[in-house]
Amino acid sequence: MISVSHLTKHYQVHKRQPGIAQALRSLWKRQYESVRAVDDISFSIAPGERVGFLGPNGAGKTTTLKMLSGLLHPTSGEVSVLGHVPALRSREFLSSIMLVTGQKQQLIWDLPPAETFELNRAIYGLDRAVFKRTLDELVLALRIDDVMFKPTRQLSLGERMTCELAAALLHRPRVLFLDEPTIGLDVTMQGVVRGFIKRYNEETGASVLLTSHDMDDVAALCPRIIVIDHGRLIFDGTLSGLVEQQRPEKRVTLRFGEDVVAARLQGLGRVVDQAARSAVIQVPAGELRGVVQKAFAELPIVDLLAENAPLEEVLAELFAKSREARA
Amino acid sequence: MSRTLAILGVQLRRSVLVALQYRVDFVLNAVMAVFWTASSIVPLFVLYSNRKSVAGWTWPEALVVVACFTMLKGCLSGAIQPSLQAVVEQVRKGTLDFLLLKPADAQLLVSTSRFELWRTSDVVSGALVLVYALVQLGYTPSVGAVALMALLLVSAVAILYAIFIVVISLAFRFVKVDNLSYLFMSIYDAARWPASVFRGVFSFVFTFVIPLALMTTYPALALLGRLAVTDVLIALATAAAFFLAARVVWLRSIRHYTSAGG
Amino acid sequence: MKRFGSMFAGLLRVAFAEAVAYRGEFIVWFLATNMPLVMWLLWSTVAEEAPIGGFGPAEIAAYFIVTLIVRLLSGAWVVWQMTEEIRSGTMGQRLLRPLHPFVNYCAENLAAFPLRLVVLTPVFIFAAAYVGGGFTSSWAQWALAPLVILGAWAIGFTAQLLIGALAMHWQSAVSLMDFWLGLYFVFSGYLMPLALFPAGLREAIAWLPFPYMISLPVQTLLGQIDTAATLRGLLVQSAYIGGFLLSALLVFRAGLRRYQVFGG
Repeated sequence: MISVSHLTKHYQVHKRQPGIAQALRSLWKRQYESVRAVDDISFSIAPGERVGFLGPNGAGKTTTLKMLSGLLHPTSGEVSVLGHVPALRSREFLSSIMLVTGQKQQLIWDLPPAETFELNRAIYGLDRAVFKRTLDELVLALRIDDVMFKPTRQLSLGERMTCELAAALLHRPRVLFLDEPTIGLDVTMQGVVRGFIKRYNEETGASVLLTSHDMDDVAALCPRIIVIDHGRLIFDGTLSGLVEQQRPEKRVTLRFGEDVVAARLQGLGRVVDQAARSAVIQVPAGELRGVVQKAFAELPIVDLLAENAPLEEVLAELFAKSREARA
Repeated sequence: MSRTLAILGVQLRRSVLVALQYRVDFVLNAVMAVFWTASSIVPLFVLYSNRKSVAGWTWPEALVVVACFTMLKGCLSGAIQPSLQAVVEQVRKGTLDFLLLKPADAQLLVSTSRFELWRTSDVVSGALVLVYALVQLGYTPSVGAVALMALLLVSAVAILYAIFIVVISLAFRFVKVDNLSYLFMSIYDAARWPASVFRGVFSFVFTFVIPLALMTTYPALALLGRLAVTDVLIALATAAAFFLAARVVWLRSIRHYTSAGG
Repeated sequence: MKRFGSMFAGLLRVAFAEAVAYRGEFIVWFLATNMPLVMWLLWSTVAEEAPIGGFGPAEIAAYFIVTLIVRLLSGAWVVWQMTEEIRSGTMGQRLLRPLHPFVNYCAENLAAFPLRLVVLTPVFIFAAAYVGGGFTSSWAQWALAPLVILGAWAIGFTAQLLIGALAMHWQSAVSLMDFWLGLYFVFSGYLMPLALFPAGLREAIAWLPFPYMISLPVQTLLGQIDTAATLRGLLVQSAYIGGFLLSALLVFRAGLRRYQVFGG
């Protein structure tokens, strides 16, 4: 469905030091620097998969999405989406994908979203009856029946995003590229958007590739993740696989009925945090059972919670490692 | 006062840096300014190749007006209009609030927020036209006449500035006014002809409503030593009145803006 | 073809709604296009002193009123839209759609025509009353007039597409538009009837696209040229439109390879 091999993109960036003197000098002579936004990455995505595309700012996520959707020509490497080469921008290709970004929008600013829907109907050459049916479904699922008749500029960020999604899905694309779709949305709206993307994927079997800084998005939506840093692919696998690889330890939070001194925690595991009546310890996953039993036997426990390390932390560790490897 | 100058300095420096980032534009825009000046002279040239004098103005005399027009236009579109455009954008995006939070006079910050320095090429090409016209006339103006022209040009800048501050003030109440500056620029275009070309209603409008006559024809007359003292006083008084009125309108609008909560 | 027709109709419908939403901007543009009036004042002052190049006050009035109408009907603005969209990256949204952006721009420009006609109604009435007998009495000329005006618009529109497409290669391309506009104002007949230029210069100007953008439609409407000349003008218009459009398409296609909006 989507396959990417040895994909690379270089940008020429004008380099300049601050200050008037430097600025004047650069009038005559410019220094250019080649930035490798995407550096030899390969992966493939099967039909119906939901994949999270993660990486720190400037890692090359948006650049990759733009190459996958045909907006940017790769410097080298091959991309195939649904059997098409995106950069050729064939009508069939464009009619079967969509790209939604949290920052840029396609809705006509001074008209109600309904007009953009109508515009897309014309552009994608959708049959009126099919269009109506699809729109009705989208309106119901995204709860935009009131907002779609108000001028876009008067809509809240969340309302705009849901309409944006509706506009991008009218032609029933088989591949969804989503760039930070929940950025700036409140918790309720995030839930609506996530639930909707998941449902669309399950009902239509479309593939989803999503970037987000919000790990809850990723945890809720993506069984598989691809992580890139500085343009390089550093992880491709399941979410739980990443956690196991990076942090095979479980994190156990204990609450006590009475004060407990630090010495009594020794022998359980690595103590991450400790207060008078609570403690957080880190334990290798295989030893969890023994540790919990020991804790209940020896300590005045009123509550116990065992969980994986937070995803943010796992990723931060992964990025730190990749930085070390580069250095 | 020193703080005012410091702010002006910092803002100017920033504009220089921005301008230098786009090196091709820098040169290109300067060339374009000369080109525009030339193209605006063409109709006049064609006109005077058929006539010796029009509405009491000979070819070189009319060129003095064109020169004043071009120099003023440089100030207008280089120092006044860009800031206006910036403010209108800020009002629309809601980022003006950040500016109002700063502990300095908001009108000063607003009116110095952007300069387009390559517009100074208009001032230069205007000056060149002026020199050419004087050579054609075979007339050397006295130092006093030149000083008087400069003074009247400064008061013309004050009038233009005041009109733009009023336009910005309108932006606080009616968000979409960026087009108004376009409209005003198009009206200002009429100032390139000597005021006596306009008759009837237009003569009235361009003298009293939008004092185009004061802006370009008066400085030209001053240089040619033909402007009466009373006219000089009227021009200066008008500029002062415009300036003060604009300040009052500005203060009221700011109060309206902040009390309405944006 | 039928599919394209119904699609284009859909585009026009939405673009018309958009044009209506921006009527305020349009009216301001309408008011700001006062140069023909200013020129009318200038040249009529001159003509009142003595007719110039065969133009008395009445001829000058007719010329500039009709010039105003032609200018307002045939104005295009696509280059500003394109360069802004290229700069800000919103061009990407257009490129994601299975439709050439030029088609979309074309619909957006054409959809503004009905609105222009409505806003111009007072000018039409004024022109009918003031110019009256100054208009051409030839039915053929009247039949050709809409075509020539459309052609005038299309020259400007396709030239702007070309300059806009160049902006994908070269970010300062919009300065070219200033250059184009400067030449347009001087050599189209916008600032003065071309008849006032010296004969040699007039012949040279006839090779440029500009006279076919103002002077040709104005002279057609005023019956200052014969039907054959109008037809010849239409031919030149088509040649320019074809040339500009073809170059614009090529430059745009090449631009797609280079177009990059930097982003993580």
